[in-house]
Amino acid sequence: MSESSETVSNESLREELAGESALKTRSLWKDAVGRLLRNRLSVIGLVITILLLIGALFGPYIAPYTYTEQDLLNVAKMPSPDHWLGTDEIGRDLFSRVLWGARTATLVAIFTTFISVIIGVIIGAIAGYGGALADNITGRIIDIVMSVPGLLLAALIAVSIKEPVVTWAENIHDASGFPLFADTTWLDLLVVFGGLAFVSWPGYARLIRGQIFSLREEQYIEAAKSVGVSELKIALRHLLPNAIGPVIVTLTFSFSSAMVLESSLSYLGIGVQPPQASWGNMIASNIGSWSYRPWLVAVPALTLAIVTLGINFLGDGLNDALNPRSKRSI
Amino acid sequence: MFVYTLKRLAVAVPTFFAVLLITFTLTVVSPFDPVEMMMTQFEGTLDTLAKEEVIEKIRDQYGLNDTYWVQFTRWIGRLLQGDLGISINGQRNVLRMIVKTFPISFQLGLAGAVVTTILGIPLGCIAALKQNTWIDYTIVGGTLGFRTVPVFVLAPLLLVLFVLVLDIMRVPRGWDGLFQTKVILPVFILALGPLPVVVRQTRAAVLEVFSMDYVRTAKMKGLEMWRIIIRHILRNALIPVVTTLGFVAEGLIVGSIFLDSIFAIPGFGGVAEAGFRGFDYPVIMGVTMVSAVMIILTNLIVDLVYPFLDPRIKIE
Repeated sequence: MSESSETVSNESLREELAGESALKTRSLWKDAVGRLLRNRLSVIGLVITILLLIGALFGPYIAPYTYTEQDLLNVAKMPSPDHWLGTDEIGRDLFSRVLWGARTATLVAIFTTFISVIIGVIIGAIAGYGGALADNITGRIIDIVMSVPGLLLAALIAVSIKEPVVTWAENIHDASGFPLFADTTWLDLLVVFGGLAFVSWPGYARLIRGQIFSLREEQYIEAAKSVGVSELKIALRHLLPNAIGPVIVTLTFSFSSAMVLESSLSYLGIGVQPPQASWGNMIASNIGSWSYRPWLVAVPALTLAIVTLGINFLGDGLNDALNPRSKRSI
Repeated sequence: MFVYTLKRLAVAVPTFFAVLLITFTLTVVSPFDPVEMMMTQFEGTLDTLAKEEVIEKIRDQYGLNDTYWVQFTRWIGRLLQGDLGISINGQRNVLRMIVKTFPISFQLGLAGAVVTTILGIPLGCIAALKQNTWIDYTIVGGTLGFRTVPVFVLAPLLLVLFVLVLDIMRVPRGWDGLFQTKVILPVFILALGPLPVVVRQTRAAVLEVFSMDYVRTAKMKGLEMWRIIIRHILRNALIPVVTTLGFVAEGLIVGSIFLDSIFAIPGFGGVAEAGFRGFDYPVIMGVTMVSAVMIILTNLIVDLVYPFLDPRIKIE
């Protein structure tokens, strides 16, 4: 009798536990979403980010004109029903160019973030798992990369690798006749990705390393180790899910800084070349005339400002939502 | 202290050396070929065969056919003598260009750092003391949001706002020394860049100090709040703020790259911008190295000053 009742209670206990854990996993993300949506600023940020992504994805279909189409009868005109945000100094529709610029900025931000996350995770994992020597060496490399202002280093890299990359592409085109390599506009983007990724990965490497070191001290990791779970399984099952919150937050912030860096490079004439639309080169080509054609500078500048503010607000909200224990400190 | 200084130097010097190595390596793969550049002067006067020969001769003469490491050491040697090369556009001495413009940017940067401090520390304090109220959220959210808005966006927007919309100032252009009204806007814009870092660091530090026993004791014995803040909290909270100086320096350098041309300030940043726009390799390398030196030096100074501010830091 006692045996059967024990089985029942065990089973019900197990069920209860299972139900609770299922509930918990769901409520963790639900909780996070709830916290995110309660924060008004991050909702605004979310809306701006979604608008940006829509603009980037469907921009060419929404845009009333292409980014090179000139309306020579309406050059440098103020906003009007025909041209919602006016036209630029050679008669191109500003609204359309801003939308194409959204595509450029998003493309660069996505690729740069993707490349630098991969490099950062690899280097961070080497630092975290490779022992003291590996940690020291990677730490020094990170210090070196970080001791040059990111923009300067990215610009220097972009300037240096541009010509070799273009020659390389031309050679491939000559040898294989791949039509892809005939067009060099996407090579500008490739060069920008390279430069930006090179200066952005240290942040991720530091973050991953820090996460590995701090989570390793946690008791559940120790417990998993003591029952003989392999390092790889611990990393995948325990470290990764726990580190994902801070990584998502950093991802959001670096998304906006990659965008800003791309605009900065394009502003300096190193990144995306005209006539391709980038908010940076749009600001640059009109900055001299800000006092008599202010909208030509203000429109791309405001767009860039609003988008970066929005993404940062979203990142801030995600930080609160995903890391509820952090006291909004850093 | 001596050993500590040596140790810090032992970190800073190799870091700088590695920066040099990266910069040099990038020039090796770069499109910049000094000989080709020289040859453009003789375009048309030499036939192709003679040109090849002359190029080969010049390459030998300047040691451009030597191995990578030989060239690298020779380049370092020239750097140590203060030779940063000659600019492509205008054939000017790069070191002289930097030396001439640097003091202006240094003054602006210093003013910017002062403004950042004056604004950032009180804002951080207020945010911490009003933790989790709308004041806190406004300060942190506002500065956080502005963290990445670049100078070339802020500057024209503020110019349009102040000059065209509000019409409260004339177009600030040029440089007549630091104590001029036209410096206000550029300095303010420069200061906004690194401001969030200072605010957040101050806020976090004040929050941490706030929970310390000695602050509770001070409160318990009935000290006025402002006295507690100044005597007990700020003194201890400001120590970690010093560590943000490196970030501040970087923000100021990057900011001035965009600022100088917008406000027609003949500064270091203007040299850098012109260098990038003209693909002027020697200039780009020069400004990159000088910027790296500034940041490494700032971090070194912070490291060296830190033990004096916080005796708990073990010097060994």
